[in-house]
Amino acid sequence: MTPFWALVRKELAVLFGSPLAYVVLTLVALVSSLIFFDHLRIYNQILFVFASTTMGGFETDTIPDYVNLRDQVFFPVMENLGFVLILLVPMITMRIFAEERSRGTDELLVTTLLTPSQIVLAKFAVTFAFVALMMAASFVYPALAIREGGLGLEHLLAVFLGLLFHAFGLAALGLACSAFSRTQLVAAVGALALGFVLWDFSWASGFLSEGVIRFLEGIALHPHYRFFAEGVVILSHLAYFVGLVIVCFALARFSYDLRRVAG
Amino acid sequence: MTNEQAAAGPGRAANGGVAVEARELTRRFGSHTALDAISLRVESGEAFGLLGANGAGKTTFMRLVTGYLLPSSGTVAVGGFAPATHAAEVHARLGFVAETSRLYPDLRVAGFLRFAGGARGLTKGALAAAVESAIERFHLGGVASRLIGHLSKGFQQRVSLAQAFLHDPALVIVDEPTSGLDPIQQEEVRGILAGLRGTRTLILCTHDLTEARDLTRRVAVLHRGKLAAMGPTPEVLGGEDPLSLFRGREASA
Repeated sequence: MTPFWALVRKELAVLFGSPLAYVVLTLVALVSSLIFFDHLRIYNQILFVFASTTMGGFETDTIPDYVNLRDQVFFPVMENLGFVLILLVPMITMRIFAEERSRGTDELLVTTLLTPSQIVLAKFAVTFAFVALMMAASFVYPALAIREGGLGLEHLLAVFLGLLFHAFGLAALGLACSAFSRTQLVAAVGALALGFVLWDFSWASGFLSEGVIRFLEGIALHPHYRFFAEGVVILSHLAYFVGLVIVCFALARFSYDLRRVAG
Repeated sequence: MTNEQAAAGPGRAANGGVAVEARELTRRFGSHTALDAISLRVESGEAFGLLGANGAGKTTFMRLVTGYLLPSSGTVAVGGFAPATHAAEVHARLGFVAETSRLYPDLRVAGFLRFAGGARGLTKGALAAAVESAIERFHLGGVASRLIGHLSKGFQQRVSLAQAFLHDPALVIVDEPTSGLDPIQQEEVRGILAGLRGTRTLILCTHDLTEARDLTRRVAVLHRGKLAAMGPTPEVLGGEDPLSLFRGREASA
């Protein structure tokens, strides 16, 4: 077992040894199901209104094309889930580095053969694995249900890919915040604030110049995520999330150097 | 590695040679100087005490030796290697026991020791043997499968000591090993440390004079980041009022 794999195993043991992991997994599955069923309920009500006898019933063409499972349920569920993840992902990432610092175990880690890059990489890898599990728990049921409504497997895979990369981006932001914090609360609040701020800048379009808005949209999460929610995979949007992860990784790695200098 | 070191066995320093050398070692935190131009040598195989009141700079010195912090100026070397530039070489020779039991309460004792050994490069058979030996040596057999968070402070400190010896390091740094323990637990930990004397270089960081007298042969006393005294333990701590060194009496030894 190399030092890196020893740390990966330790991180997994600590993560799954804590009830927080199970609480978050349950919360994600519960919240995504609630969002899904709420949209399904609204969709059924809309369908009922259009299909009521006064408007022609199911046998007529009175139900417009846009009233379908994909547009009325799946897209909004994925949009909402993307937003909800801003709240849920920091619950997992907040402790990853901050807890090591507050307990003083980071001092133990850096006196082993592990390099700071290996420490950061192992923590990112384990967190991403957990986030992938979290996404599977949240995605599988709505996806299977919607598939019956006519969405192809490729479309579902594209959506899942987007959801996964969006969650990885949020996890990377949370991990970077945790790496610079001594307390979990500060790490969580920092990640929440960053997630909310970066989600969407369209509210600023009324009072900022076009160039600034274009730049802000370039760094915002939602403009990149929404294409995946529609089932479209565009390389530049994937590159955005990969870039976000790389920047956050570099920041977390830098926190180790900073600590050696600043104390 | 010299022939002497090789003859002493893997990971162990032969008597003779320098285990740790600091030259004009200085560390500042903003405008506060935590360590001010400290120069000292710890010989291989020596039991060396670093004494001082709280805030004297002991932990900062330890952290500079382990590479956790970088010096503001001056140099420090472990076995001839600078921790800042040769971390792997330094950490392969180093076992570190931190001030309080800095462990993972959600891990079980044996699992934690397997992690600590793995993180120090031990693999498969060697790792299993090292963990088994540490459990036996530090009397952890009865608690090996228990969660660390459920152990008493005394047992947690034993776990902390055990992890530092897994890879048979030539140098062990122990920072305030009995801090926060009850008298019986203190006695147990001191007994363990006494048994380790002479087997490798030991740097004991403490503000407990009895501990320093019992466990070290040479001490350095720090006061507000400066070296107040250094010499053989009986000489430095043998005066009528050794505590005056903690208050800043000029070096006499």
